[in-house]
Amino acid sequence: MAAPGGNKIRNAKLVLLGDVGTGKSSLVLRFVKGQFVEFQESTIGAAFFSQTLAVNDETVKFEIWDTAGQERYHSLAPMYYRGAAAAVIVYDMTNAASFARAKKWVQELQSQGSPNTIMALAGNKADRLEDREISAEEAQTYAQENGLFFMETSAKTAINVNDMFYEIAKRLIRVQPVQNSQGMTLADKPSQRIVNTTSCCS
Amino acid sequence: MESSSASHPNFYDIGNRVLSRSRWRIPMESSSSSHPNLYDIGNRVLSRSRWRIPMESSSASYPNFNDFTSRLRQPAAADLLQSIKSFTVSFSLQNPHASYDNGKRVQDFLATMETSINEHPLWAHASYEEIDNAIECLEKYIMTKLFNNTFPSSTEDLKLDLEISEKVSLLQHFIKPDHLDVPRVLQNEASWLFAAKELQKINAFKAPRDKLLCIINCCHAINNLLLDISMTSNHKPAGDDDFLPILIYVTIKANPPQLHSNLKYVKLFRKHSKLVSEVEYCLTNLISAKTFIKSIDATSLSMDASQFHKRMQLAKLANAAQSYEGNKPTNQQEYMDVRGYSRYPFMDAEARDLRFEDVHKLLGLYKHQVARYAMLSEALNQLSINENQLLSVINVPQGAEKMKQQINRNAL
Repeated sequence: MAAPGGNKIRNAKLVLLGDVGTGKSSLVLRFVKGQFVEFQESTIGAAFFSQTLAVNDETVKFEIWDTAGQERYHSLAPMYYRGAAAAVIVYDMTNAASFARAKKWVQELQSQGSPNTIMALAGNKADRLEDREISAEEAQTYAQENGLFFMETSAKTAINVNDMFYEIAKRLIRVQPVQNSQGMTLADKPSQRIVNTTSCCS
Repeated sequence: MESSSASHPNFYDIGNRVLSRSRWRIPMESSSSSHPNLYDIGNRVLSRSRWRIPMESSSASYPNFNDFTSRLRQPAAADLLQSIKSFTVSFSLQNPHASYDNGKRVQDFLATMETSINEHPLWAHASYEEIDNAIECLEKYIMTKLFNNTFPSSTEDLKLDLEISEKVSLLQHFIKPDHLDVPRVLQNEASWLFAAKELQKINAFKAPRDKLLCIINCCHAINNLLLDISMTSNHKPAGDDDFLPILIYVTIKANPPQLHSNLKYVKLFRKHSKLVSEVEYCLTNLISAKTFIKSIDATSLSMDASQFHKRMQLAKLANAAQSYEGNKPTNQQEYMDVRGYSRYPFMDAEARDLRFEDVHKLLGLYKHQVARYAMLSEALNQLSINENQLLSVINVPQGAEKMKQQINRNAL
């Protein structure tokens, strides 16, 4: 169905993973609050967000699922990332432990998640250069070895935040073209739905 | 028309019956009369609605059975009525089960009917909302009618429900927000109470959508509390790091009835195209809260392992005593008074009279009695009184006198 803007809307579930204190929510809030797409509403909940991005002639509507980063809730994560079209794994570049945790997430997604999920690694708090514990090279090498794309971000200064989501949107369109989305179903539910924008949540 | 209304599902009647139980107005009013403050809080908590289905509008007008039934009363709707009737009849002849297969049957039927309604001449010029309304009415109608065939009722489901509610009833005794690392600034009992009340309403409804709304309203209350706090304090919004622990705490406080079965039912029978986005996120959070609660052990909470075991043990004793006292708070005087057969309701029972639900009670009584006996025995031991000697004099003449003498002797 046609959206008010005239082009197709693609719904994409994006899950956020990362340790407590890495700034997952701040990152998303920066993205959701900083964008404005005509006729499209965004959602700013406490833990659920949505935002639309126009990429060429397509519109991607991200449905962003935050997860609890505390270790004690780790085992619950599969319920959240099941069927996700994209995952952003966030670590705090001033905290080596959070990078180790991020690697755990990557491993888990590689073994438990869907091979079609687009994974992004975000080294957050890039504004705090003097406190850096993880070098960009180290993270970049790790990302390359594991087929993720990597960016250092700062929710505070907005560095790379929009670029990262834009890049995810572009990859989604490239990897999973609308026409073929039928054949790309993940788990028991398609990761992307082409819907009338007024239809959900009623 | 008359003959068709007699042989076909009577939507007017069903519609009225379903609507008369309209969740929104009734619960709000009743809570306003008994808890004026809660009502205020509820309004405040819910007023900042970011959900696209504000509670107010869903109350009276949605789904609107009048529009749906007035279309179905037209002769052109005969084919739809026939499909609905044959589906509900054939479904109700099956063995009752909340299985994946039955979920799929309902989902397939709703999808087929959606196509039929979309293409039906009666809805030829209908808006998207009118068609959506028709599907919602249909879901509510068939699920209300087939409730007994679809709500989880297997032994396994009952066992899980019981296991979770028993676990929660123990945790309720001692769990504090700090044990789940809920930051102090977020601790707001009033908002949590409101969220818990929403969850507790879940069994007041049969339709999956209505049950789901209880869950959404609960999440919504927590959501708005967090948004409020992020605007009025220095607390940085921490997303699900904050949300999930509060939801777990609220779920423990609420101990909603048949939590496992209700979640399973909503997941199987709520129309899948509606179980997306924020709604799906809410449901997932509650399912994960349930999973967490079910698996809570000494290592799950911010609490010393030995402390955890001790608290659980005490909670078990307290619950056993409570069920023994018929849900009255235990008071020392009553505890001392052991006479009266009515306190031991199974004394005259035969094994064949016992029902499954008696097991819980029986076990509670048993545990209470064992705990009590162990304490009495220890007390006698400390008084150096031989139990058997004591029992041997209990029924002889002047037994009481002899007992007193013995106690006095020992006391000296």
